[in-house]
Amino acid sequence: MELARLLPLLLLSAWLLPLGSFAAIVFAGPRMGRGGRKAAYLATGAIGAALVLSLAALGAWLWHHPLAADSQAVAPLSGDWYTLAEFGKLRLAIGYYIDALTLGMFVMVTLISTCIHVYSIGYMREELGEVTDPLVRGSDGGPLVRPGRFPRFFQYLSLFCFSMLGLVVAGNIAMVFVFWELVGICSYLLIGFYIERRSASTAANKAFLVNRVGDFGMIVGIMILLGGLGTFAFGDHLGAEGKVEPGIFSQVRPASAEHGLVVPDGLVRMAAADRLAAVYASMPSADAAEEEIARQIPQLRRAGYGYGLLILAGLGIFCGCVGKSAQFPLHVWLPDAMEGPTPVSALIHAATMVAAGVYLVGRFYPVFAPEVLLVIAVTGCITLFLAATIAIAATDIKRVLAYSTVSQLGYMMFSLGLGGWAAGLFHLFTHACFKALLFLCSGSVIHACHTNEMTEMGGLRKKMPWTAGTMLVGCLAISGAGIPLLIGLSGYHSKDAILAQAFSFARHAPAHAWLFYVAAAGAALTAFYMFRLWFMTFSGKPRVEQVYDHAHESPAVMIVPLVILAVLAISAGWTLPGVDWGLPELLEQARPLGTAEGFPEARTIAGLVVPAEHHSHAPAVHKIVSLAAFAAALAGFLIAAAFYGLRLLSAAAARRWFAPVHWLLVHKWFFDELYDALFVKPALFLARQAAEIDRGVIDWAADGSARLCLRIARIDDWIDRWIVDRFINGLGRWTWRLGLALRPLQSGQLRQYVVMIAVSTVTIFVLISIYRNYAFLP
Amino acid sequence: MTLTSPPILLSLIVFLPALGALLVGLSPKARDELAKQIALAFTVLVLALTVYVAIPAPADPGAIAPSGPETSSRFVVGAGQMQRAFSIPWIESFDIYYALGIDGISLPLVLLTSFLSVLAMAASWSISRHVKAYCVLFLLLETGMLGVFLALDFFLFYVFWEVMLLPMYFLIGVWGGPRREYAAIKFFLFTMFGSVLMLVAILALYFSSDLNRLDKSQLAAAKVHTSVLKEHDPGGPPLHTFNLLALAEQGQAKDSPFSAELVWGKSIQWWVFLLLLVGFLVKAPSFPLHTWLPDAHVEAPTPISMILAGVLLKMGGYGIIRICYPICPAAAYELAWLVCTLGVVSMVYGALAAMAQKDFKRLVAYSSVSHMGYVVLGLGVWTITAQTGMSGDYWKMGMNGAMFQMIAHGISSAGMFFLVGVVYDRVHHRDLDRFGGLFGKMPVYTGVSMVIFFAALGLPGLCGFIGEVLVVLSVWNYSQALAVIAAFVMILTAGYILWTIQRVYLGPEYKGPHGDALRPMTRRELAIAAPLLAFAILLGVYPKAVFNYMAPSVDRTVDALAAWAAESQDPITGAIGSGASAPPGSAGLASLRPDGPWKEVEQP
Amino acid sequence: MPLLNQPVSLSHYLLVGAILFACGIVCMATKRNAIGVLMGVELVLNGAAVNFVAFSAPFLRGDAELALGLDGHLMTLFVIVLAAAEAAVALAIALCYYNTHATIDVDQGDELRG
Repeated sequence: MELARLLPLLLLSAWLLPLGSFAAIVFAGPRMGRGGRKAAYLATGAIGAALVLSLAALGAWLWHHPLAADSQAVAPLSGDWYTLAEFGKLRLAIGYYIDALTLGMFVMVTLISTCIHVYSIGYMREELGEVTDPLVRGSDGGPLVRPGRFPRFFQYLSLFCFSMLGLVVAGNIAMVFVFWELVGICSYLLIGFYIERRSASTAANKAFLVNRVGDFGMIVGIMILLGGLGTFAFGDHLGAEGKVEPGIFSQVRPASAEHGLVVPDGLVRMAAADRLAAVYASMPSADAAEEEIARQIPQLRRAGYGYGLLILAGLGIFCGCVGKSAQFPLHVWLPDAMEGPTPVSALIHAATMVAAGVYLVGRFYPVFAPEVLLVIAVTGCITLFLAATIAIAATDIKRVLAYSTVSQLGYMMFSLGLGGWAAGLFHLFTHACFKALLFLCSGSVIHACHTNEMTEMGGLRKKMPWTAGTMLVGCLAISGAGIPLLIGLSGYHSKDAILAQAFSFARHAPAHAWLFYVAAAGAALTAFYMFRLWFMTFSGKPRVEQVYDHAHESPAVMIVPLVILAVLAISAGWTLPGVDWGLPELLEQARPLGTAEGFPEARTIAGLVVPAEHHSHAPAVHKIVSLAAFAAALAGFLIAAAFYGLRLLSAAAARRWFAPVHWLLVHKWFFDELYDALFVKPALFLARQAAEIDRGVIDWAADGSARLCLRIARIDDWIDRWIVDRFINGLGRWTWRLGLALRPLQSGQLRQYVVMIAVSTVTIFVLISIYRNYAFLP
Repeated sequence: MTLTSPPILLSLIVFLPALGALLVGLSPKARDELAKQIALAFTVLVLALTVYVAIPAPADPGAIAPSGPETSSRFVVGAGQMQRAFSIPWIESFDIYYALGIDGISLPLVLLTSFLSVLAMAASWSISRHVKAYCVLFLLLETGMLGVFLALDFFLFYVFWEVMLLPMYFLIGVWGGPRREYAAIKFFLFTMFGSVLMLVAILALYFSSDLNRLDKSQLAAAKVHTSVLKEHDPGGPPLHTFNLLALAEQGQAKDSPFSAELVWGKSIQWWVFLLLLVGFLVKAPSFPLHTWLPDAHVEAPTPISMILAGVLLKMGGYGIIRICYPICPAAAYELAWLVCTLGVVSMVYGALAAMAQKDFKRLVAYSSVSHMGYVVLGLGVWTITAQTGMSGDYWKMGMNGAMFQMIAHGISSAGMFFLVGVVYDRVHHRDLDRFGGLFGKMPVYTGVSMVIFFAALGLPGLCGFIGEVLVVLSVWNYSQALAVIAAFVMILTAGYILWTIQRVYLGPEYKGPHGDALRPMTRRELAIAAPLLAFAILLGVYPKAVFNYMAPSVDRTVDALAAWAAESQDPITGAIGSGASAPPGSAGLASLRPDGPWKEVEQP
Repeated sequence: MPLLNQPVSLSHYLLVGAILFACGIVCMATKRNAIGVLMGVELVLNGAAVNFVAFSAPFLRGDAELALGLDGHLMTLFVIVLAAAEAAVALAIALCYYNTHATIDVDQGDELRG
């Protein structure tokens, strides 16, 4: 079968398998063995099969497009599977956009998901029976006892895998948004898995709402793109009449302009709407007007119309990524998200979902103007530093890892913003491996100790050798350990690439050189807080005997995934010598057209040049950066060792010396408090005002007008009684009296009547005669 | 004249419930169960009939020829025009006809009505006072609702509109909660206020209409009665009409009789549009005419809340798309800013007010205000501008989205009200602060509720998403500021819904009153919730189930308006073309517009 | 008395009718006995009848050659029949009245009760 038909089919099956598992567990979950035990096997089997299919797809791809040291971009496959709705030329569809990046993400997501599914079978074991939740008080004052929710957990995991794979394979921005929301709701459900805990449900709400803030920006970006370009699709595809309709990418970077960034016609029209209206008004017919407009558009484009909208669209899309990838200023939800079970933290909040923002920035790379890239870089830079500083002061083992995740995601954004497209996505892959590993290790520790607080741990190395060993690998990988200029763990390769790009950027745009120094400092901080974590947990003496006594190594079902991930954390960054097989080469195949040679100087910011990535591979750059990064990491490690490993220095004393800084860091730079005061409180205030307006103004007016009507009615009633009625009654009374007065005439005397008749007849006769002047009268 | 000929079939759909009401009225005393069963049977029968109509007929163009016999009793999917329309003289001296017909805009709403009526009647089993009267009124209400959606004669439309009002008044006022009298009167007065304005507009249209301006083919397309065709005389005295299709033809004509000036320099259609809009926005309900809704919902019994939110609110949107826009295009264009702004304000305002509520049902009621704001917004986004090259595609998207939102909201809001009712039946309070932890006692109920609430939140894969996202995305080319605000409402919606879920369903244990009464859902309750759940999911993943029926008719409406805009291009497009987005420094360009009768037309 | 000197003409008949009518009226106005009143009624009717007959006599009419001239006679016959019927009914009333009031004095019958 040819590749263009095989790959969509394979990925479609891989994508839909978890959905099937989700549906099956929804309907039959609790009936699957004791406590729903078999649901786990079903979900794991589904994601395992998806892994196999993804690997097959990747294999087929590599068969057709083998990797080489100088891999070239390969045209992606795009198309639609299913149309949701269609209006004229606007189409809302479920489609695919497959290139090497998609395939790499598929393999990465399914691989890590499979490991985590297996791990969860062990980790969630206690959910099989009745669960005693020590953190929640029941009505009798004791800890709450509730039925286990083992199948539900795997049901959510399956739904998440489906959503995440859909997000990766998505062929248009609307579909991205659909699955963006779906992974969000999975995250919501899993963070709030322990629904009895108020902190968990609050954290879940927070995660979803903060993400929605990002999505708000994203939808504005989508609106601009749809309004201007008339399509959601990334790639070109066949229209209804067999005509090729250009997608977003080829409209923004048309082949006719050699894939350079061009403001599309639609955006120019949007920005120059008033001018177009004038054209229409001055032309006799619509066709003539369109002709004239087509003539004017190049001039308008040169005059800068639409460029602002393009920037705005890019910023909007990036805003969504800021939310999902927990970048400053929307990073606040991720640490709280650690309320969920640890495998969830590993899968969703470290390896896959939070990386989706980075993935989308990478996917949307062709659309970003250099100004947007600078914003991305600065955001990433602030995030990586901010989160690293908070991680230093955190004592909850998962929170340290959460902030570390935020910081590493910052690195990725940073790299993408500086033009290091491949470097940033490379770090996405390596980070997924070692961060999943670190989280699973921490899960293993928590499973053993039943606490998250590192201040209650210590010396666990002896009790949990496997966990300690694999976690050490993770720490080394994230710190970027390796032999400079030769080889290292996965993090070494990817972080080096990022810093090299930052250095190259600093040389091309000296005004923004500070970005490089902050990132290098961040590398030192990373090493410091990671080893602080490792030392506090595993080395030294136990701090709380009770915890230490209970601790035990985890079962094999949890250890095996750790080992697999440790192997990946070591080797994911390697390029096999000889065949040149490695992640950077794979990513080169997916590099968006027109971005390989960097970006021209920005229109609005002087001196902003985003350099091509290949400049950072130059030996001069590479050597300096490798050594600098190694030095920074080593410094961080040594300080951590001095404080927590060898205990040469006292951490408590350091805390005292830097009390204000520590206070700031422990309170996480007061972002939660700030947002509460800036957004949550005003929103609730406005809400109360709205309800109050309803009661106090609108209802008051409505009720008031009703009351006014009543008052008018009363006046009306008075008029009725005292004027109209009196007139009518008076009339009646007078008639009555007249009748009484005439009554004597009606005597009943027959003879009298006869006389009256006779007399009156004669009288009438005489009167008429007089009146008509009859001749017989004198 | 067989049973499936249009006059009989459509009349059966409309009047079967009334017949049922008669039968319930004649049923023996003190047999409450029997009355309910008869009522339920009739609603089911009506549902079966509407489903029969909706089963697609083979697309045979002859079957829907504009005039002549219609051979198929089924609906031809993909045809946008009015189908199976007929016209029978009713009050001929005033040109009033008994005219019914069905198209892609009304059919989904008719189906929704008959479907929700069955569910609401099934949910009425807990009614125990004056059961017979309740069933009679309920069935009369259904007749009114179906009649409104099927009527093609404006006067008939108005009659059904009023027919529906009275049963609702009694259903709230007799079977409602503690403040039922206040709520019922408020509902009645608000709606009456709107319908009086509507009556004025109807008469204004009637007396300015003139069928003689249309040619024979237009008259045939408008399905006027043959006796009118005989009277037709292009040079003769004005031939007034109430026929909605004929009125639309005249409104969209180049020299529309409705463009004559009325008062204060505004045309007849400007005033008519405004009057009708107010009438329909009361029903929709839109800010600031919405305050009857929370009260009515809080006091109404559960099934009536379902009908109220699920069907009655839709009549506002239906009226706007069926009557306001086709008949008064110039006014619609001029006042599009008003429609859109009210839509957006309702969205924001409803969401904010919902957030502050303490009463569960009130919260759901305000969420309806917010969600119906999307409908009003989507109907109003006039994007046939120079900026889009006079393309109606974005408006089609918005209008289809709005129509879809009506159906989706019909499902989700009816579901939400039902679910609130389920828990109210058990614990007899609706105080959000005294809930919590329902999950532990009622897991299935909680699962169903979360899906329905997520549907209201607009989660992809559920019905609420499609409508919301289509509407919001279509707005940008009309007004960028409104689009941004509309997108912002997503955050507020998520806020109040998630907060509600947390307060009601999550948490350790239920600590409020009547905790012992919290039993799992009964089989009957499940049978009502399950179809709603199924449709919430089905419409979310297969929206074409609705769009296949709806889109041709909606697109036809938009195309007609686009053709109108192109025809009136000379004076109008200059103004139409000015999108809301003005780049800095281009304000002076406005002076380039030619002076004409349309010079006062300004974009928001 | 110029009337007596002339040949019998319409005026003479009318005069007789008028005298009969006046006598009848006087009789009705003065008699207290119901029978007397009835007789007055008869006189009035007959006065009218005389007039009818006089007006319709062929030799008294100017247009005799044109009309058949039977209308006045018909009216007279009608009046006579009417008078007979009236007398019967009136006598029956008087009888009834006598049964209840033991008198036929019309001045006693000034109340509308039976």
